[in-house]
Amino acid sequence: MARVRNSNGRRGGGGGGGGGRGGKGKGKWKMPVSVVRKQQAAMANVDQVTGAKIPKSFVFSRGKISPTLRHLQQDIRKVMLPYTALKLKEKKRNNLKDFLNVAGPLGVTHFVILSNPKSSPHLRFAKSPQGPTYTFQIKEYALASDIANSQKRPRCPPEIFKSPPLIVLSGFVGVEEPFKSLVEYFRYIVPIVDPATVKLSTCQRILLLQFDKEKEIINFRHYSIKLQPVGVTRKIRKLMQNNQVPDLRDLKDVSDYVTKAGYGSESEADDEAATVSLASDIDKLNRASKKSAVRLQEIGPRMTLHLVKVESGLCSGVVLYPEPVAKDGVEEKGKEIEEDIEGQEDEDLMESEDGSEDESEE
Amino acid sequence: MAASPQSQSLAAAAAGRNPPHKRRAGGKGNPGHSKKLKRSDEPVRRSSKPSDKFLKLLRKRARDYNSDDDEPLSESEEVSCSEDESAVGFARFEQGCRAFRVAFSKIMAKKLPDDPLGPVLSAHKKLVAAKLAEDAGDHKPKGDSRKEKRMAAEKGHVIPANHLDSKEKDLIKVATQGVVRLFNAVSKSQNSRKGLSPSSSKDAKVLAKERKQTFLMELNKSSNQSQKGQASSNFSEHISKDKEETGWAPLRDTYMLGSKLKDWDKMQVSDVANEQSATLLDDSSDEE
Repeated sequence: MARVRNSNGRRGGGGGGGGGRGGKGKGKWKMPVSVVRKQQAAMANVDQVTGAKIPKSFVFSRGKISPTLRHLQQDIRKVMLPYTALKLKEKKRNNLKDFLNVAGPLGVTHFVILSNPKSSPHLRFAKSPQGPTYTFQIKEYALASDIANSQKRPRCPPEIFKSPPLIVLSGFVGVEEPFKSLVEYFRYIVPIVDPATVKLSTCQRILLLQFDKEKEIINFRHYSIKLQPVGVTRKIRKLMQNNQVPDLRDLKDVSDYVTKAGYGSESEADDEAATVSLASDIDKLNRASKKSAVRLQEIGPRMTLHLVKVESGLCSGVVLYPEPVAKDGVEEKGKEIEEDIEGQEDEDLMESEDGSEDESEE
Repeated sequence: MAASPQSQSLAAAAAGRNPPHKRRAGGKGNPGHSKKLKRSDEPVRRSSKPSDKFLKLLRKRARDYNSDDDEPLSESEEVSCSEDESAVGFARFEQGCRAFRVAFSKIMAKKLPDDPLGPVLSAHKKLVAAKLAEDAGDHKPKGDSRKEKRMAAEKGHVIPANHLDSKEKDLIKVATQGVVRLFNAVSKSQNSRKGLSPSSSKDAKVLAKERKQTFLMELNKSSNQSQKGQASSNFSEHISKDKEETGWAPLRDTYMLGSKLKDWDKMQVSDVANEQSATLLDDSSDEE
């Protein structure tokens, strides 16, 4: 069995447990433990404010993958935080069925599976109980650490991973069927944002999936959102942020501190398109009903994905894309259905098929 | 003739010197006597036992040898000769050795070609060359395979450039647009109902109406305004679905009753499975 630590499930269950204990204290009626547990589990999977079901995900790998890909896997887990198992441990003998069995009770709805068949990395996005499965080939990728290394001032505070990312799907307007369902899939991979109740301070990250129609690739980017008040100089901003007494040694007057232009990047003209008026206070600087500029900084990972296959089941079932040739279609269907999700051998077989499909497509 | 008796006597002297050692060690009967002693014993025992006969034989051999020409000097003889310093023997040795010395000095004076193998005897040379070639052949594929393995493991891994190129900038722009749209929608929806409290039923009705209208309007407006309008984010999804309901979720009638929860799961599955181009509720509001 896969050893799974799902801290969110436990934390979410705490609230439900409180209610159960309250009833016990009065001594009128004792709720059976199993019922309490079930309730807790149900509560953990539902958003307390909007009542929507929270999608949870597993990110794991199949087969042998290189250390770099293992880093990528961890990066993808961080993208999927907080509703994913960051420290999910998988063993060689764990097969897909194990994950499936664990996923049910934990309320895991999405699988992200990394594999490396024929040493070309593939990423599969799947819905947990019944599919569908979207298989992508990772054409290019860069780890979060690579991106942090490429930046002068990487910004990645750990707090931003406490709330789920926003998803922006771009370039999917008027696309054909496999991508249409893909849009639906990606829309539900993170909790739905309700504009009426959402707290703006929880919008800290954004996941961009941009579809390039000509090359048929999807650009996967992950940014952190930073808000800066418009019309406030850098020095004042820093003064507010740092909570420290500023260094005034070299100044003759206090006003110099404000008026003297710093060497900072004041030249960054605030783009009118990137300014928003906030509905509520976010922090000390970004107050409600004040203009703020939206700044995005990439935190990685960065991936370029190419859709190679869509299956109706969970890593099995009828191949919906690329559409099988009519002659081979019957055979293919039979084979696909026969093939269960049981063993590692099957897994390998499927992966090799992925590869062949890939070649035929190109 | 004269050299051989000298050497014999020397050997005899050596034989005579050593046995007492051995006898002493044996007499003590010390089982733990040192290895060093034991090792020195070995040759002694051999030389001492056949003393008379062996000496005679040696003497005879020496005589035979000396009767021959001096040319082929065996090494053992040479060593023994060099050891003894008597004048006569030395002279003889000198004479016999001259040829050897000349040859040796000639070899040493010879300029060596720039051979990587260095000064090696010709027979050996072939062997060494073959061995070296074999080693090189062994090493090279090892490194190559390792390199290939590494390349395969790193396939697709691209280290990003230090600067943002135009493509990345465009992507950031698109993402920013999406964030701005979300924030604007949020601020519109949250500002409009600031004065109303969802707890009173009258306000709740108004609120529900307002949310529905302003929200749909806002979305239409924003999508019309931005003709590019590529960014469609997930926030708009929720609006069309539960616009009728307000307030805290557990207070609602439909809380966790499941129709909605089942819906979003099933819709997709059936959608994909049948491969129908079923338009979902929110498609119209979201895509232009």
